Amino acid sequence: MRALVIEDDPDLRALVAKYFTDEGFVVDSAADGEQGLYMATEYPLDLAVVDLGLPKLSGVDIVKRARKKGCSYPILILTARDGWESKVAGLEAGADDYVVKPFHKEELMARARALLRRTGGWAKSALESGPVVLDTAAKRVTLNGSAVDLTAYEYRLLEYLLLHAGRVVSKSTLTEHLYAEDMERDSNVIEVFVRRLRTKLDPDESLHPIETLRGQGYRWTLPRTPPA
Amino acid sequence: MMSLQTRLLLAASLVLLVFVGLCGAGLETAFRQAALDAQENRMRGMVYALLGAAEPDETGQLELNDGDLPEPRLMRHDSGLEAAVYDETGTVLWRSPSQAGSLPLVIGPEVGKWKLERLGDAGRFALAFGLRWLVADDNRPQRYTMLVLEDAGGYEEQLAVFRRTLWSWLGAVAAALLAALVLVLRWGLQPMRRLVGELRSVEAGEQGQIDAPYPQELTPLTGALNAMIRHERSQLQRYRNALGDLAHSLKTPLAVLRGLAGDARLSGDTQRQLDEQVGRMQQIADHQLSRAATAGRRALAQPVAVQPIAARLAAALHKVYADKGLAFDLEVATRLMARVDSGDLHEILGNTLDNAAKWARSRVRLHATRAASTLELAVEDDGPGFPAEPERLLERGVRADSRVPGQGLGLAAVVEILRAYEGEIVLERSAELGGARVLLRIPGA
Repeated sequence: MRALVIEDDPDLRALVAKYFTDEGFVVDSAADGEQGLYMATEYPLDLAVVDLGLPKLSGVDIVKRARKKGCSYPILILTARDGWESKVAGLEAGADDYVVKPFHKEELMARARALLRRTGGWAKSALESGPVVLDTAAKRVTLNGSAVDLTAYEYRLLEYLLLHAGRVVSKSTLTEHLYAEDMERDSNVIEVFVRRLRTKLDPDESLHPIETLRGQGYRWTLPRTPPA
Repeated sequence: MMSLQTRLLLAASLVLLVFVGLCGAGLETAFRQAALDAQENRMRGMVYALLGAAEPDETGQLELNDGDLPEPRLMRHDSGLEAAVYDETGTVLWRSPSQAGSLPLVIGPEVGKWKLERLGDAGRFALAFGLRWLVADDNRPQRYTMLVLEDAGGYEEQLAVFRRTLWSWLGAVAAALLAALVLVLRWGLQPMRRLVGELRSVEAGEQGQIDAPYPQELTPLTGALNAMIRHERSQLQRYRNALGDLAHSLKTPLAVLRGLAGDARLSGDTQRQLDEQVGRMQQIADHQLSRAATAGRRALAQPVAVQPIAARLAAALHKVYADKGLAFDLEVATRLMARVDSGDLHEILGNTLDNAAKWARSRVRLHATRAASTLELAVEDDGPGFPAEPERLLERGVRADSRVPGQGLGLAAVVEILRAYEGEIVLERSAELGGARVLLRIPGA
């Protein structure tokens, strides 16, 4: 998952970035509105967290322009004063939810995860697809009720595929969304992780949860339960 | 204090009265003088005519023959015209046949002089003429005084008629002038009345500013009033922006602090204490900021339409609670206007609707009406309803359930704003939806 944090206060920016990094996100951060808008429109993002009071370009304007340029990922706004006029303005501009400062890490991350889930068409915080259940809150994966031991990268890959269930996800998209820029981007790594996931989730090769489409990428094949 | 119109009318009536009075008095004096002159002239004519008719008798004395009298009235008793001739000693030598009663004692004027008198007794004019009678063959001239008396009735009558005509005309003119004055005043003061009406409408929130064109004497005033209205409104906006900036610069470090409080290197106790303090600071800041941002009832507030605000909030909350797929029923007439500041109405409706959305299973309903001059907003949901002591929820920082994210300030903030409007809040069970019902009453809105 790739998240963008636009916040002018360096400490808070670093803190929020850390929250997301800790949860396995790849994080880009911007200190002002202009830089933020550039990243919001040019980077392959899964989520953006935008402070409303920003220098150069207001948060509401960023959201408005990003939406106008066709960015459809969920946007979470951070507001300082819980005035409804500003909240409504942000939501009307195209944001999906708001969090009022000062927030707890849990609150912010719960909202962020809920937005990602919702965008992927999932109704509950636990993503259930056939015998596979990924609990986004507890970060646990079970297969037929028993825990599956996944590494952080495997977990992220599975979460991404589940959130985009039914859709083809290319290897390059996966690389962009799952790994920070400074990491070596070797598509072979993705292949390795996919292979390991298949082994862990489908030991007897009866489910075939991840389909490989040659030259296009991967697709999660199992249906959502309950269907969205 | 006396109204402008009354003052002007009173002053103008007084001036008019004095003017008409002086005018009438002047005219009357002039007429009286003219009538008196005419009277005297007529009487002089009579004296001359009598002199013309006089003959010397054999002794050289002046004699008047009744048959030669120039005026038949002198012959008729009680005709009102009388004449007499006195000699030097004041003895009556001759009197006209019309003369019956007493004759006044006449101190004759000098020779060739006239003397007109008004006799007090019977309302008569007396004109005396001093003369010397010279008979050719006698060089001893005789000194006489000729007296003509005429009843003043005709003169008085003439004067009375004039006076009646004069004063009735003057009265009519004064009345017409007064009526014209009233009309002029009404017309002249009409812009003032219109201005007052417009101000009332602005005050009642029926219009945003003073619009109608005014005479140039009033335009500085209306301009200043409009500037004041605008200033008052923009002042509030500037004030709120400043509060927003303050909130932003206060809450951001608080958010950082709260984040640091979660640092795993700190002991659990320290973490909890830090978080608690941050929470307290946040509550204080929220409380003071929302209180400061409340506009409350203002004389020149622009009225706001309730429906668009409710619709915006419902759309926003629908998005925030997208998981629940809430249905918002807005029973608000599109023309329902509220004399509540737009920001305050956003807070009132936002917090109550948010509270309802938080607890609702599938439905939230807003019913807004105006009963007399009181705006009533009822927000209902189909959630579990209020706990046993719902009033506790109105206290700042008390949440019905701490698992639901929120500041715990929602309804308390509403209470705070309502206080500024002298409104009231009732927490009850929704009869129709089965959940909670929050009824807000804002008088005079």
